[in-house]
Amino acid sequence: MTTAITLQAVSKEFKRHPVPALRGIDLDILPGTRTALLGPSGSGKSTILRIIAGLEDPSGGQVLIDGRDVTGVLPERRGVGMVFQRSLLFPHLSVLDNVAFPLRAAGASRRAARAAAVPYLDLVQLPDYADRNVASLSGGQQQRVAIARTLAARPTVLLLDEPFSALDPDLRADMHGLLAELRTELPPTIVMVTHDRDEAAAVADRIAVVESGVVLQHDTVERIYSRPSCQAVARLMGGRNAVLGVVSGAVHSSDLGQVAVPESAPEGPGVLVVRHESVQLLGRGAAAAHPGEVYTGTVAQVTRNGARRSVTLSRGNAAIEADVPPGVDVSEGSTVVFSFVDGAPSVVPIEAHAAPGQS
Amino acid sequence: MTPGPARFLVLVAAIPAAIVVVGGLGFTVAQSLGLLPLVGPARLSVDAYTGVASELPSSIAVSVGIAVASTTLAVLVGGTAAVLIVAGGRLARVLIGLGAATVTVPHLIGAAAIGLLLADSGLLARTFQVPPTDWPSLVGGPWWVAVILEYAWKEAAFVALVVAGTLTTRVARFDETAAVLGANRATRLRLVLLPLAAPSVILTGAITFIYTLGSYEVAWLLGRTYPEPLSVMAVRLYGEVSLTTRPEAAAVAVVIVTLSTLVAAAAFTLLRRSAVWR
Repeated sequence: MTTAITLQAVSKEFKRHPVPALRGIDLDILPGTRTALLGPSGSGKSTILRIIAGLEDPSGGQVLIDGRDVTGVLPERRGVGMVFQRSLLFPHLSVLDNVAFPLRAAGASRRAARAAAVPYLDLVQLPDYADRNVASLSGGQQQRVAIARTLAARPTVLLLDEPFSALDPDLRADMHGLLAELRTELPPTIVMVTHDRDEAAAVADRIAVVESGVVLQHDTVERIYSRPSCQAVARLMGGRNAVLGVVSGAVHSSDLGQVAVPESAPEGPGVLVVRHESVQLLGRGAAAAHPGEVYTGTVAQVTRNGARRSVTLSRGNAAIEADVPPGVDVSEGSTVVFSFVDGAPSVVPIEAHAAPGQS
Repeated sequence: MTPGPARFLVLVAAIPAAIVVVGGLGFTVAQSLGLLPLVGPARLSVDAYTGVASELPSSIAVSVGIAVASTTLAVLVGGTAAVLIVAGGRLARVLIGLGAATVTVPHLIGAAAIGLLLADSGLLARTFQVPPTDWPSLVGGPWWVAVILEYAWKEAAFVALVVAGTLTTRVARFDETAAVLGANRATRLRLVLLPLAAPSVILTGAITFIYTLGSYEVAWLLGRTYPEPLSVMAVRLYGEVSLTTRPEAAAVAVVIVTLSTLVAAAAFTLLRRSAVWR
């Protein structure tokens, strides 16, 4: 069974907070999808999750789960499971009793609940930890137990509120792997809150970008990266390139040159956005071989980030950032030839207040 | 702060406390064993204990009875109030206000107020127009009702504030977690709230019991003259004109300390067994 979640004009205001946490959010989470709510701290993404779970009442609007209005319904009656940033394992219960908790809450005897909990502990690969005190587990193990406990409640929707953000990178990768392994056991509809776009791309198939209590864009992972709806989305998804110009006949013109953009790009002033991974540095002969598809720029800055390098190329008032492939020699002040991956550039509206550093 | 100054500051606080507790206790034990006589030569003996032995059983019974009844009521009322405070809302604010106001009232003032309220010529009897002969012996009666109620009233506020303070810092998120795991309010109370509250309830209960056992003003004001609670007996013997009864007062005080130590040991045993403490 797959479960849809719909938020209709959901708003939330907290007492003594002048700024609303959510401003009339409309969001359709399709059945069977894994959706990441992505945004900076304080954007309202966790509030959305808590409203879906019933832990917060919205100030306005409705929450529908499978078409049923659950606004005002108690959390325990929504059939929604939630894993929090902290594992919140009950300290007075053993590992097995924590996993058995939802079964006991449903009325099972302690013995029956424990017996039914064992397979869930096996699922998260902790069968030998059943009798352990939860305080003796590592952070990653505690989150595994928290996931097993939530699965034992057999929820129709699984909500994950930054569940791996407190773990180190290796453990986080392990947990992403675990979620992938558990795909058949997990409820089909998952909503995950994260501020890590890489985690969102690793776990989810759709992303809703949230900022200042508004959903800026809700789309597939691929389109969120490649076709941001606005500069804010492009920036939140790690896009570094934004070039002011004018669109005419599916061509964006700027100091950079003429760049082909999608037919759907609106005519008139617009910002060219293209991911730095989609900028290709070419050999010196490429300009002659592919006239009109390649551009030249002067290397303004070379930045090293671990084993990777990136380069900022300038041409007139325009600047473009690109990843430098291994083995390619670039130096500041030199002229390089570059092109864009086919279909990578797109155009978004000009922001009222362009962010610093954007040309 | 580096360990050196920190240790020094701890010692500044710990040394006077140790002198008072160990010194005071040692002095009392020595006096009860005849080693610190006010007159005459020091001689090790248990005369002070045998001197009060005939009264000790009834005094211990009434002291423990008052402490058990007061502590039970205080824990039940205070624990319930704590749960209501944690639940939040207007009632919680009212309960916090009542609790904060109650703990500031000295026991002596509380005892006087309870006496004026419950005596056969008190406010309640007058309000309900019950003649003194028909009014139950709540003050100075055989069941020590006024004494027990005074202790329970004051200590319930203490229990409520301490337990609520402990719970509010850690229970809210666990309560939410249990709710999204399908537990209704009653189940959350039984499986989450009460087990998490157990350590603070045990601690406040033990403190209430030991305090009730050792304090004398309320029982002295509102209780009957015989049998005497241990604390009242100790104060009376200490204040008698004859200085020779002071070792007996010390002997009664040692009995109180011994009972209190046993209760404290039992409380810490229970705490060590509680899963949350582990």
